[in-house]
Amino acid sequence: MADDPRANARLRGFRPLGGIGGRAAAATLRPFTDVAAVELETVLATALESEHVQRGLRGAFESDGGRQLVADFFDSGLFDEFVDRLLASAALWRLIDEIVDSPAVTAAITQQGLGFADQMGEEVRSRTRRMDDWLEHAAHRLIPGRRGR
Amino acid sequence: MSDDARYIGLVTRTVAFALDAAVINLVALLVSIGASLILSLFHVQHALKEVLIVVGAVVYVLWTIGYFVGFWSTTGETPGDRVMRIRVVASSGDRVTPRWALVRCAGAVLSALPLFAGYLLILFTRRRRGLLDIVARTVVVESPTLSLAAARRARRRAERELRSSHSGDEREALVSQA
Repeated sequence: MADDPRANARLRGFRPLGGIGGRAAAATLRPFTDVAAVELETVLATALESEHVQRGLRGAFESDGGRQLVADFFDSGLFDEFVDRLLASAALWRLIDEIVDSPAVTAAITQQGLGFADQMGEEVRSRTRRMDDWLEHAAHRLIPGRRGR
Repeated sequence: MSDDARYIGLVTRTVAFALDAAVINLVALLVSIGASLILSLFHVQHALKEVLIVVGAVVYVLWTIGYFVGFWSTTGETPGDRVMRIRVVASSGDRVTPRWALVRCAGAVLSALPLFAGYLLILFTRRRRGLLDIVARTVVVESPTLSLAAARRARRRAERELRSSHSGDEREALVSQA
């Protein structure tokens, strides 16, 4: 069927119609899908914030069974294996390199460094100025007299 | 110089000088290491070595004088002064000329000779002037947040932006604001 040139030509003729139909269907359904997504978010948020769910989750985490489950998970060595594999993967280091090299991260680190240096400088400056005044007062107490020009 | 200017005391000036001394000596050290490495490639006679040491000492003194004279007479602040936000200006408030900057350099040495007594004058004078300031007719004041170069850059940028968007009196008013 697919190799039939006549059938292929017929299908090619319908392709634009299919594209138009798909776009029209997507445009028609968009309000509904948008509403559904918002509703889903609201439902999830309400459920997670509800007192019952929170109490249930807290109870599960604090129960002996929950603690045992966590302890078993770590004792099984699954987590160690996961970390080992993660550290051995080239993709992780590529991702870290990407993050480190990204201009946003570099700018943030530079800004942080500059901010810290500026703060340090400001502190040193204010302290030395206070010491200027203190030393001058001390000198005047030691040797009282009229100040020159 | 207006009376409301904040004059800078002994401790701040000492810290600024210590920073400058660190910069001067670090540069001198790096240059001397480089020169020593280059000279180690050649066979240098003992007498020539002594001459080179004297030349090195002279270069060091000239570098130190040039550092202070250069910064005082151009921006009014050495890198150490910049960190401590202080500036050397003439008593009238103008920029220090190279000649007076040189005099101030000599004054700094003179102030240190009698057990640094020349610097102790800073504690007892109204405008916090040491012997070096008195002989060079200078004062050390609080520096604005922006350096001279940064202020000039900001002013030019503001002028450029205004030239492209405003005209006439409005532009002049905004430039003066900037």
